[in-house]
Amino acid sequence: MKGMKTVKRIAFILILGLAVLAIAGCNGEAVDSENTIVIGIEAEPTSLDPTQIVDYNSSRAAMEMYDSLIRFKDGSTDLEPGLATEWDVSEDGLEYTFKLREGVKFHDETLFDAEAVKFNIDRQIDPDHEYHDTGEFGYADTTFGMVEEVIVLDENTVKIILDEPFAPFLGNMAMHSASMVSPAAIKEFGKDISQNPVGTGPFKFVSWDPGQEVILEKNEACWRGAPQVEKLIFRPIKENQTRLTELEAGSLDFIVGIPPDDLQRIRDTEELLVLEQPGMHTWYLALNCYRPPFDKKEVRQAANYAINKEAIVNDILKGTGIRAVNLLPPLLWGYTDDVRDYSYDPDKARELLEESGYGEAELTIDFHVPESGSGMQQPVAMATAIQSDLEAVGFKIKIQQLEWGTFLDKTEDPPETNEFIMHELSWMGDNGDPDNFLYTLLCGTQWPPKGFNGGFYKNDHVDSLLLEARKITDPARRIELYEEAQQLIVEDSPLIVVDHETQIVAMKKKIQGFELHPTGVFRFDKVTIQ
Amino acid sequence: MLKYSLKRLLALIPVLIGVSILVFLILHLTPGDPARIMLGPKATEQAIEALHRQLGLDLPLHIQYFQWVTNILKGDWGRSIQLKREVLPLVLTRFKATAILTVFAAFIAITFGLLAGIVSATKQYSLWDRLLMFLALMGFCLPVFWLGLVLQVLFGLKLGWLPISGMHPPGQAGMGSIFRYIILPGFSLAVGTMAEIARMTRSSMLEVIRQDYIRTARAKGLSERVVTYSHALRNALIPVVTVVGMQIGFLLSGAVLVEIIFAWPGIGTLMVNGILARDFPLVQGAILFVATIYVFVNLIVDLVYALLDPRISYN
Repeated sequence: MKGMKTVKRIAFILILGLAVLAIAGCNGEAVDSENTIVIGIEAEPTSLDPTQIVDYNSSRAAMEMYDSLIRFKDGSTDLEPGLATEWDVSEDGLEYTFKLREGVKFHDETLFDAEAVKFNIDRQIDPDHEYHDTGEFGYADTTFGMVEEVIVLDENTVKIILDEPFAPFLGNMAMHSASMVSPAAIKEFGKDISQNPVGTGPFKFVSWDPGQEVILEKNEACWRGAPQVEKLIFRPIKENQTRLTELEAGSLDFIVGIPPDDLQRIRDTEELLVLEQPGMHTWYLALNCYRPPFDKKEVRQAANYAINKEAIVNDILKGTGIRAVNLLPPLLWGYTDDVRDYSYDPDKARELLEESGYGEAELTIDFHVPESGSGMQQPVAMATAIQSDLEAVGFKIKIQQLEWGTFLDKTEDPPETNEFIMHELSWMGDNGDPDNFLYTLLCGTQWPPKGFNGGFYKNDHVDSLLLEARKITDPARRIELYEEAQQLIVEDSPLIVVDHETQIVAMKKKIQGFELHPTGVFRFDKVTIQ
Repeated sequence: MLKYSLKRLLALIPVLIGVSILVFLILHLTPGDPARIMLGPKATEQAIEALHRQLGLDLPLHIQYFQWVTNILKGDWGRSIQLKREVLPLVLTRFKATAILTVFAAFIAITFGLLAGIVSATKQYSLWDRLLMFLALMGFCLPVFWLGLVLQVLFGLKLGWLPISGMHPPGQAGMGSIFRYIILPGFSLAVGTMAEIARMTRSSMLEVIRQDYIRTARAKGLSERVVTYSHALRNALIPVVTVVGMQIGFLLSGAVLVEIIFAWPGIGTLMVNGILARDFPLVQGAILFVATIYVFVNLIVDLVYALLDPRISYN
């Protein structure tokens, strides 16, 4: 009988516990202020100093607080005036003079002027600059590597001198790394500027609770006009499914990183809106042209014909990407699809392999694959599909999986010691210029460890086209050069391009006027809440 | 007891030296370069070399190790390469979140695990026993990440009773609403341990209940409650305490998955991200810290034995 009592007591405690839960539940979620947008991002930002940012989670949270001299227009990579109202390029393409917008203030009330521009650029590229050690600038060389000197002409005019003509320079001036940070704040916070961002943008910094949230509020005094939304809260949630559940439950207003399997269900949900747009992203296989078997063009082409890219896009990516025919993303100017068509054709692949004369020994290769990584979509599933396609035409493929950090490190080994014969990688453009893809990934002068031509491709004709195109400023002529280069490159097939990832965000329908930007940053300054 | 405790605390020193060397070597011998990861895919070779010099990564390994240890002893835990913050405050705030979660989970696990074990043992082969042990077996086998996601959908989305992730409502920092936020992650984390404790308590109780002194106690005419709780349970608890001690270590490490699923800002997520980014100072610091805590938990467990069983003495 005593035992019975114990059981009753336990049951009582359990019921009491459940009752407490239920009562606690009835209090409901604390209602957020109407004009706040809570955004679920994929990981904790690492820095809110734009000059130090190398990942999307940071740039998405930070870029609402900053401006650069030139901006990308909403929804495109065309350029428009930002903190500079006008600019002038000298005949020889070496001198850029910017007229700055007057009366713009940083969030700390200090004035934005020509000295601030010089301070921001010198801080990144001059190792002797007093504040150079306040950060690590991963994009400094890409953005300002060609800058020889920054000269302050007067309070509102600044001249930038390059050491060689560089056509995409204006695009560089719109990149996140060219954002203007308050010099006074850098002097005050030193290395901690990463956590104390001060810019001129439409939102200003409120707080950063590590691991939990970054809060921004609207900048009433913004030169572009104050935004409608009062507050932005960025919450890092690593698990895709959790982020999605939060959106469906209504505690998040806006999310990225929707699992492909759930996409259709979210598209069909009444209260939610899904926006999709191909971004400046390309997923590709790099073939090592320096060593057999991919030193022969026939083998590279055979591999390209053998892989069923359509199936990868439809069945693995479930439509979260579009099939690529060329390294350039289609929304970039200079793109052409008038190139050799490598639609799935295993018979042709077998013929080409036959022609190459390579036998089983040469065609047995290791395929290096990262487990995960920025922009890599579903690296392992995609690699497995590619493996079976290639084996069907006569290759013998062994997949070697590596952790992302280790993998990246190995891609940068010089040709003599580089052990990658075939590896997957992806590239995201930053400055809206074809040079950023073609020169960076395929020019013969850009072999690792100096550059990112990880397949060690070299074609003298292509090199001369790419080098000329980055020097001249005439857009029409540049397009011609890039089109010719793309045709030659695709013919040589040093890379097998698979897809361009679609940027996908989902939000509550109450958020109106949001537009995706090809560079992947978010712009909430013109958004309204119904 | 005091002497024993001091001796154990002294033994902490070689343990920590061992841990520090091990962590340092494992991290530094793993391929992957923090400078490259930190500067991103678009950094040049010169920039990476410059950063190596700045971080001291170009120095021989033993010199790097001694520099790190000397700095730690001076109270300077270094700066996280990836997060660009001081390591010590970062580790402390993040550990606080993990500690809250772990203590809460341990509390649930011990309370309900013990109760279930006692009921099962005293009512052996009854319906309650079978039901509880079936649940324990289930709890033992359920993967945490699956259970966590299911609980989120059930209590967060469908019923709308509890928040799904995080530690507080967006934009309202503070501990005010932590109780509502900790229930789902705390329960997910506790389930496995709860099951383990329930099973352990049951078998340990069953063994004790059959011993002579229990029969003597009953024969003396003591009530069943006194027999169960004062005589049987106390002796049955010793193996249970061992399991609890081990399980607290498990909870600390198991917290990683729960923290990721529930976006709980604990030390687990911090370390995983740190390892992926080869953030040497952060990972070294965090592991050293957790190892120290673990050693202390073990010490406390050993001291608790003496309290439970007068036969065990450390004098």
